[in-house]
Amino acid sequence: MGVKALDTLEELAQIARTRPERLKEEKGKGVKVVGYIGRFVPEELLYASGALPYLMCRGGEPEPPDAVIPYMLRFMSPYDRAQIGYYLLGMDPVVPMLDLIVAQCSDCHESRLADMLEYFKLPTARLGVPPDWQKSLSREYYQKRLAWLKEKLEALTGNKITDERLKKSTESINKLRDILSRIYLLRKQQPPPIGGYDFIRLNHYSFYCRLEELLPRLDELYAELKKGQSPFPQDVPRLLLAGHVVGVGDYVVPKLIEDSGGVVVAELLDEGMRQHSWKVKTDGDLMANLGETYYSERTPPSIFQPAWEKRADIIRKLIRDFNIDGVIWYQLSFEEIYDLESSLMAKVMDEIKIPFLKLESSYEYSREAVGPLTTRVESFVESVRQRRS
Amino acid sequence: MARDIYVEFLRLTGFEEEEIAEYLPQWRKASEKLGLTEEDVRFATEERLPAYFAVELEGIRKLLGCFVKETIDLTQASEYKERGVKIVYGILPAVLHFYYALKLTAPEKVFVSFPDIFLTMVLNGFFHKLAPYLEEAEKAGIPYGCRHCALNKARYAARRLNIIPSPDVNWIWGFICDEAPKTDEFIRIYHDPEWKTYITRLPHDQSLGTVEDEVAERVEYLANQMKDGFESAQREIGIKVPEGKISEVISMWQGYAAKLSELALLMSADPQPLGAISGRLFWEGLFTPFNTGMENLEEALDITIREVKQRVANKEGILPPGAPKLLIYSVHPTVPWIAKMFEENGVGIPLSEFFIMSKKQLQPPSFEDPYMAAAEGWLRTSGMVNPGYQAEQICEKLETHKFDGMVFGLMDFDRWLGSSHRLLTRMVEEKTGLPVFYIEGDNWDDRDYSPEALRTRIESICEIMKIRKA
Ligand code: SF4
Repeated sequence: MGVKALDTLEELAQIARTRPERLKEEKGKGVKVVGYIGRFVPEELLYASGALPYLMCRGGEPEPPDAVIPYMLRFMSPYDRAQIGYYLLGMDPVVPMLDLIVAQCSDCHESRLADMLEYFKLPTARLGVPPDWQKSLSREYYQKRLAWLKEKLEALTGNKITDERLKKSTESINKLRDILSRIYLLRKQQPPPIGGYDFIRLNHYSFYCRLEELLPRLDELYAELKKGQSPFPQDVPRLLLAGHVVGVGDYVVPKLIEDSGGVVVAELLDEGMRQHSWKVKTDGDLMANLGETYYSERTPPSIFQPAWEKRADIIRKLIRDFNIDGVIWYQLSFEEIYDLESSLMAKVMDEIKIPFLKLESSYEYSREAVGPLTTRVESFVESVRQRRS
Repeated sequence: MARDIYVEFLRLTGFEEEEIAEYLPQWRKASEKLGLTEEDVRFATEERLPAYFAVELEGIRKLLGCFVKETIDLTQASEYKERGVKIVYGILPAVLHFYYALKLTAPEKVFVSFPDIFLTMVLNGFFHKLAPYLEEAEKAGIPYGCRHCALNKARYAARRLNIIPSPDVNWIWGFICDEAPKTDEFIRIYHDPEWKTYITRLPHDQSLGTVEDEVAERVEYLANQMKDGFESAQREIGIKVPEGKISEVISMWQGYAAKLSELALLMSADPQPLGAISGRLFWEGLFTPFNTGMENLEEALDITIREVKQRVANKEGILPPGAPKLLIYSVHPTVPWIAKMFEENGVGIPLSEFFIMSKKQLQPPSFEDPYMAAAEGWLRTSGMVNPGYQAEQICEKLETHKFDGMVFGLMDFDRWLGSSHRLLTRMVEEKTGLPVFYIEGDNWDDRDYSPEALRTRIESICEIMKIRKA
């Protein structure tokens, strides 16, 4: 990646960092600020209502999940716990000013998080997402919940979500998806012009920058990256990072992988990413289009049932398309569904002879914890490199 | 004549002398299949069952016998399958009406079971021998460290070890945890392609305090989900349940539930007439279908009610009169020493909140349609709804049975039922002012939480309660 690309990335990081202050300013002018949790909450609807969206997706520090333990079972996902943990510790500048939090409820961890938000009297709207996604009953359910959310947002903001407004927001977010997709596809090159550590952060920044600020900079970034300058050596081992989520701030593992001589060239992460490969249609029934894309078309998350065979197929395809040398499974502690899936993926990878490394994190990245983690990642990358050569 | 410990075991578990001849060979075969040695059977007969169950009561012996018969039957499931009987599994807790309706419609053609619950209850509860099953699952894809539920591991291990065959349909209810239905997806992909599953799910998306059985849209959605699942199960096995069969089962179930409420009232008498573990297995009948039928269980319940009434009349108790009495979220016979430890420390935990009925649950359904009635019943159940509504119901139960406090916890393998307990502890304490405790532990599997590990916590709870009551 060239200097210019690095500068653009840093600029976006800077804008994202100042999101809390800017939200506060807008709120002062009467604009509603709506937090949301999870990939099934369509940002299009939030924008179309005139609210400013704020994705709650932080991670990477052990204290916030621990702050939740007096209220919740210890053996719950540290990621979900973190979404309220920062608030409980008084470390969250945004959550206290939110006018609404739309909390996706697709699994037990998310639903318990929603319980906590309500217990602490935060204004919460739950978006139920049935995991039995191939039934028409479930599809209708999700669609109805979207209609309910639309009404809720209209009541909150006093703005009608007209087709025109929804179309406009959908088109803007489609543009964003499109440019991210193009950047993503550049990673097929060897060596890739951008690694996973930066690409994941880019996805994160995209949630915290205004679209007007974001789109031109992403265009610039794409143009720069397209020139092909890569920060990685020619023979760098190419890795896929799969799992639940790399939260905003939880960058130790992707960085470590790349500091250890590998590069993440593709991800299969259920949360915290833009899911940019799928565009929402902008003609016909726009609400139905949202439901269709968000619920039925995209890669099913691990909690959906059935999902795992399809997800294994997707990983196999990514391995082929991106010429992947090894898979790193990044799992958060006590996420029971990902833990089951990791065994299946390990088996599938074994069958196709692709090296597989399972990492588990409770966001404990003290020096004592990082030492063994580094050793495991370094030896994995090294073994993949040897296999490659 | 040399002692035959297998015969003694059957006698202790309520088998009549004339039944023993018929069941003895089956029991020997079943115990061998389950991996139980003669020494295990001796341990159960001489130590475990007498220590934790009131085997001096005929009703309790017969109750144990119902579980033994059902377990023997379960070990014969492969033979049923070979004879063309359709195998239908489910998991606890589900609305068992549908499974019974299948069974009542075609008793000779259908085998219904929730295999993991019987294996877990009997193998750990009676023999303390579930560990080999858990280890089998742990070495084959369901790792130890993530605190997966023992029921799901047991189901998987039972299939791996060929104790149970693949089902014709495994109709799984993911109304509570995610892990149960996903375990079945796991079993099919990882181990047994014939493990055919149909899932029925309901998102946990109701706000705290919502009275879910009064939200028409939710009841209707759940009813439709149940109908969809039931129709699919019928299609899979080619059996059509006539209209009216479910209603027949509902009234049978309500009769049984009413009797259980009577036992619950007796159990909360002062002095407490029966240890918590002894009666607890009766409550499995509310959520778990018995392929061998409900009649034996109901007979055992009738006898127990008679016997316990007598104890109450005689003021006979396992604890002194006036002993503090706690409602526990759920006590499991799989780890029976927990209840016993409370009782040995002078505090009763006669009833499990999860299983006892609220006043609303005992009211007749508001709908005639059996699916709507079943859905409404489900959403009236405290364990199935949001913690706000759940807390309301718990407070009512504390009041009805005049408890001095409550204990939550021991469910840390459960990301749904167990994950709200710390919050519930606060909510119930705030609402009632009663002391409410939380114990971290595991009700199915005591490999991690041994008596030594929990003793201090339990003893200190008991001390607090005794001081408060003094
Ligand atoms: S985790 Fe809970 S709800 Fe799930 S299978 Fe185990 S006991 Fe049942």
